[in-house]
Amino acid sequence: MKIAKYIGTRALVVALGAFAVVGTTTTDAEACGGAWIDFEMLLDFRDHGIDQAEEALEEGRYEAAAGYIIRVMPHVRQLKASSSPEVRRALRVLSVATARSNGQLKIDREVQSWVMGQKEWMGKKSEDRANNLEWAINSLRSIDKVKKDDPVVQTELAEALAKVDAHKGEAREILEKLAKKDLIVSAEGYAVLAELRAEKGDSKGSKLAMDQCRKIDGESTVCGTARKS
Amino acid sequence: MMRGGRLLARLPLLAMVVALGCKTERHPVPSPEPSAEVTPPPSAAPPPVAAKVAFVPGDAAHGKKLVEKFECSRCHMGTGFEPARLDQNCVTCHQEIMAGTFGRNAPATERARWKKTVADYQDAPSLAAMGDRLEPEWVMAYILEPHDVRPTLVPSMPRLDVTEKQARDMATYLTANRKPAKKISPIKGDAKKGRRLLEDKSCGSCHLFTGVPDLPMKPDPKEATKETRAGTVLAPDLRYARDRYSPANMVRWLLDPKSIKPDTNMPAHSLTQADAMSLTAYLVETKLAPLPPKPIPKRLPVLDRKVKYEEVDEKVFHVTCRHCHADPDALMGDGGPGNTGGFGFPPRKLDFSTYRGTMAGYVAKDGERHSVFEKMKDGTPRLVASLLARQAEEAGKPIPDIRGMPLGLPAATPEQIQIVETWIAQGRPR
Repeated sequence: MKIAKYIGTRALVVALGAFAVVGTTTTDAEACGGAWIDFEMLLDFRDHGIDQAEEALEEGRYEAAAGYIIRVMPHVRQLKASSSPEVRRALRVLSVATARSNGQLKIDREVQSWVMGQKEWMGKKSEDRANNLEWAINSLRSIDKVKKDDPVVQTELAEALAKVDAHKGEAREILEKLAKKDLIVSAEGYAVLAELRAEKGDSKGSKLAMDQCRKIDGESTVCGTARKS
Repeated sequence: MMRGGRLLARLPLLAMVVALGCKTERHPVPSPEPSAEVTPPPSAAPPPVAAKVAFVPGDAAHGKKLVEKFECSRCHMGTGFEPARLDQNCVTCHQEIMAGTFGRNAPATERARWKKTVADYQDAPSLAAMGDRLEPEWVMAYILEPHDVRPTLVPSMPRLDVTEKQARDMATYLTANRKPAKKISPIKGDAKKGRRLLEDKSCGSCHLFTGVPDLPMKPDPKEATKETRAGTVLAPDLRYARDRYSPANMVRWLLDPKSIKPDTNMPAHSLTQADAMSLTAYLVETKLAPLPPKPIPKRLPVLDRKVKYEEVDEKVFHVTCRHCHADPDALMGDGGPGNTGGFGFPPRKLDFSTYRGTMAGYVAKDGERHSVFEKMKDGTPRLVASLLARQAEEAGKPIPDIRGMPLGLPAATPEQIQIVETWIAQGRPR
C-alpha cells in the first residue's frame, strides 16, 4: 500500500513538473496550441455540441439533444440566457427537450454521472419532474425576455407551459395569439394548441389545429394524439 | 460550427454586391400589401435611363451621413469611409475566399464549395472621384431607380429604402469633388471616326454597347484572366455613357482615365484630343435602338408531387436567402442585413436558416410580426410575391410596394419559385 501510494505521489509530481515546464515557457496564445501545431483551431467545441444538439432536437431525439448540451456545458442549469448567444441556444435546446420529455430526461446513457452533476435531470421522482418543468419554463421565459417577440421562443414556451396545469391558460393565450397571425413555428406547437382547445371543449378549433399539425408533420407521431378532440 | 463556416454564412453580404451606390423606393411603403397586381405583364420597356434634368444640389453633409447609414462601404470602395470590416464586406471577403487567404485552414472541399458560391460576387465599382466622372443627376436617379448598367456583372445595385431627398443628398456628397469642366457644345468630333476607333481600340473586349451595331468583340468574363476579370465585369454598357458623363468629362476620361481615378481598370489608349472628341461624338450622338424587352418569366403552376422543407431549403433558402436572413444567435450576433439590419434597413428579424425560423415571420414596417406566408391582395403568399417582384425588377418593371428578393442578386428561377409555392400550398410540410 505504502509503495503504491509513494509511486502515485511521484507520478503526480512528475506530471505537475512537466506541466509547469511547458506551461511557463509559452504565451497565452501558444498555450492554445499555436506554438506546437501549425494550424489554427477551427472548431469551437461548444458550438459544435450545440449544433448537434439542435439537430437531435429537430429529429425528436430529446435525450441525445440534452446529452450534447450537458457534455459541453455541464453547468448550464446555473447559466443565464442573457450571458451569451451560445448559452441561449443551449438553454433553449435543454428546456424544450425537458418539456417534450415531461421533465424526465433519461440521460444516464448519454452523459456520465460525474458530468451530469444534478441527478434531477432524470426526473425519477415526481417532484424532480415538476422542478425540471418549472426550470424549463423559467429558462424559456428568460430567453423570451432577451429575444423579445420571437415566435420560436413563444411557441416553445407555450409548449412547456402546457405541461403544467397551472400554466395551461397562459399557454393557450400565447398560442392563440400566434395562431391568429399564422406564426406557430412547429407541428408540436399546433399539437399543443389542439390539445388545449379540446380541453376547453372547442372541438372545431382543435380539429383545425390538428389538421395544420398534420400538414406540417403528417408522417410523425407528433400529431397523433390530441386528447379529448 | 466551424468558424470559417460561420463567417461564410454571414457572407450575407454576398447577397448584395452592388453596381454603384445605394437605391430606393421613393415613398415609405406601408406593410406588406401591394397596391396592384403582383405580377405585372411582360413589357417591352427598356430599363429606365436617367432623365436630363438640371440637378439642384442637396445637403452634402447629410449625404455623407446617409452613405454611412446605407453602408455603401460594404460593397464599394471610394465612399469616403473605411471599408467595412471583413465579415461585413462582401467584396473583400469574396476576393479573399477566391485568393485562398480566407479560411486557409478550412477543409479543401469546404473552400472549393465557397469558391463556387462566391466566384461571381467579387467585384463592385469604386465610387472614388465620382464627381469628376459622373453627372450628379444621373447618380441621384440611379440611386432612386437602379438598373443594370454592367451587364456582365452578376450582382446589381440593390433597391434600398431611399427617398428622393436622401438620394439628392447622397448624390451631392458623392460628386462633391467635382472639378469644373468646360462645356462642349456642339461636340466637335467625327462620330464615324469614333465608331472606327471604338473597334480599333478593342473597346468591345470589355464593354458592351447595346443599341448600336455589334462591336467586333464581346466581353466574356469566363475567358478573362485573374488580372482582366475585374475590368471585364465592371465595364459599363456604353449605351448609358451619354447619361452618366458630360461630353467634357467624357473627353477628359478617355484621354487619361487613371489621372482622374487611379484605381480604374480602364486603360489609357494614347488618344489625341481629336480622337477623344470623335469617340465622344459617337458615344453621345449615335442613335440607340431600344433595348430588346426582357419579359418577366412565366409563373409555373404548383407541382402535383410532394415538396418538403428539406427540398425548399436545399434549392432555395440555403442557396441565397439565409445569407442575409439568419439567426443572430447562431452567427455571433449578426443575423445578416435581413435579420439584424443593414444597408439602411431596420432589423426585420427574418431567419431562413431553419424551419422554425422561416415559420416565425418577420417584423414589418408597422412594427408587428407578420408571417411570410401572409396572402397579398391577389392571394399570392408574401414570400412568393417578393421572389416574383425580383423577376419584375430584372425586367425593368419594379413593383412599387414590394422589394424584390434576393436583393441585388439574380432573381430566383421559375422552377425555384414553383418549389416554394408548391410547398406553401401543401401546408409547409417539415
